[in-house]
Amino acid sequence: MPAVQVENLVKTYGDGTQAVKRISFNVDDGEFFGFLGPNGAGKSTTIKILTTLLRKTSGVASVAGLDIEHDAQKVRKLIGVQMQDTVIDEDLTGRENLELQGHLQQMHGGELKERVNELLKVVDLGDAADKRSAYYSGGMKKRLDLASTLVHRPKILFLDEPTTGLDPQSRAQVWSYLKGLNQTGMTIFITTQYLEEVDRLCRRLAILDHGEIVAQGSPAELKSEIGADRVTLAFENGNPGTGSLKDKAKQVLGGLGGITEIVDSDEGIVVYAKNGGFLVPDIVRAFDNAEIKLSSIGVSSPTLDDVFLKHTGRRIRPEEIDKSRASGMFGRRRR
Amino acid sequence: MTLASDSYYMFLRWMKKLVRNPILLFFSLFQPIIFLVLFTQLFSSFGLLLGGINYTIFATAGIVLQNAFSSAFQSGTAVVDDIKSGFLTKMLATPASRASILLGRLLSDAFRVFAQSLIILVLAYGLGVFPVTGFIGYVLILFTVAFFGLAWSGISLALGLRTKSAETVFGIAGTLTFPLLFMSTALMDKRLMPEWMKNVSAYNPISFAVNAIRDLIINGYNWNSFLLSFGVISLIAILTMGATIYEFRKVVS
Repeated sequence: MPAVQVENLVKTYGDGTQAVKRISFNVDDGEFFGFLGPNGAGKSTTIKILTTLLRKTSGVASVAGLDIEHDAQKVRKLIGVQMQDTVIDEDLTGRENLELQGHLQQMHGGELKERVNELLKVVDLGDAADKRSAYYSGGMKKRLDLASTLVHRPKILFLDEPTTGLDPQSRAQVWSYLKGLNQTGMTIFITTQYLEEVDRLCRRLAILDHGEIVAQGSPAELKSEIGADRVTLAFENGNPGTGSLKDKAKQVLGGLGGITEIVDSDEGIVVYAKNGGFLVPDIVRAFDNAEIKLSSIGVSSPTLDDVFLKHTGRRIRPEEIDKSRASGMFGRRRR
Repeated sequence: MTLASDSYYMFLRWMKKLVRNPILLFFSLFQPIIFLVLFTQLFSSFGLLLGGINYTIFATAGIVLQNAFSSAFQSGTAVVDDIKSGFLTKMLATPASRASILLGRLLSDAFRVFAQSLIILVLAYGLGVFPVTGFIGYVLILFTVAFFGLAWSGISLALGLRTKSAETVFGIAGTLTFPLLFMSTALMDKRLMPEWMKNVSAYNPISFAVNAIRDLIINGYNWNSFLLSFGVISLIAILTMGATIYEFRKVVS
């Protein structure tokens, strides 16, 4: 049984905005699922619908086999939800925040106490447990927030950009918790701007753009759709510019098979080829014969960034997003 | 009964927040204390106009009510905070009973007004104000005031849920407080009011509650005025709770 099942889901807001346009996808039980897309693509809207916080306009959606509207109350017992902003009650201590969440999930007494102690240890807040969370650092608050979604041992965890705005160290920590949770069998549904982590951790992902799913599959599948590795060449005499050396180099490369594209770059020449790795010895040999001295040659496989670019026509740059968010230049980013 | 237990934990949360913000607690009591100590001194000669009674004794009922009124009027701002911070959403993502979110807040409002009123009455006792109805009188006064606070906080909650702006709630509360207070029998006997104000104050819900409490302090049991105030407060409660539930549904769905 899939953890999340979505069929022809539509959300049209009161003002006529079509945030989500007939999307369909499944998330398997125990999967680490990435839900990506540019700002305003409809990610947060989808998460809100799946977590029973927003009513869908039409379509079918179920979580753990339960209809999200008909069985909303049962769904809420099975899911953990972390919002984009850190949401804790800063007047309460870390422990009290967790206990409150537990109480609202109908957990009480010794069972809850034990669970809270266990979680406080997991997120390294044992020492600060009885301090007012207002005095926590940003990373600690985020960890507390994450822990508060886990008190009732949810089967499926929904996270809306859990690491946006965190420093690199806290970010890495959050990702490592998520990895650990996934290893215990928890299904993780996450939206994020951090593609490297998605590549490393997500078994499958879907890319949303303008309310529609434009691509879905495993990171490897999506990257292989790009169809070519990137081979970067630099020359001993520096950039050969537009001179005869570069023309000669291009001529040499033109004589080799398996290359799909040759592009000038600031550092030298970039070559796109299906199996870049196999091409390296050929390139080296050919340049050697032509007496052109290479200073470096590098092969990189396409990244999710390339995938994202291909499907949405945009690049994700988390750092810039963080800055704009901090300065509030673009106002609220989600609905 | 998850409604009861959820409401209890919501109530507990608000109580903790209240106790941990002593400055807030202090300032909300500051004004009534000023009224009790300074205002009644300044206007003590009103007592002569009222037939030679002690003005402090006369005004205590009004001051207790005024405090309940302004304290309950802040309730909506706390809910605005919860909406803005996302805490409301976080609670809505749990199976907690929806009604408990409102109920917990209302109970905490009633309790806060109860505690504040108790403090004011203790201070008033030090100034020579003791109800002729004794202990039962105190209980009835606190009950009436807490009920009034509960009913009145509904207005603030509905406003907060509708406007989602603490400033608006504060603005409206601040603007309404004094006109409603002065056009009631809280601080002045109706015999000394100009005709038009007398008419307004006769319909001012604050007057009904003040009259009931004042009777308990000065005249003894007057069940007519007590039940009348109970009825008026109930009516307000039904109206404000209706508005609050209506607005809450819009926010929640």
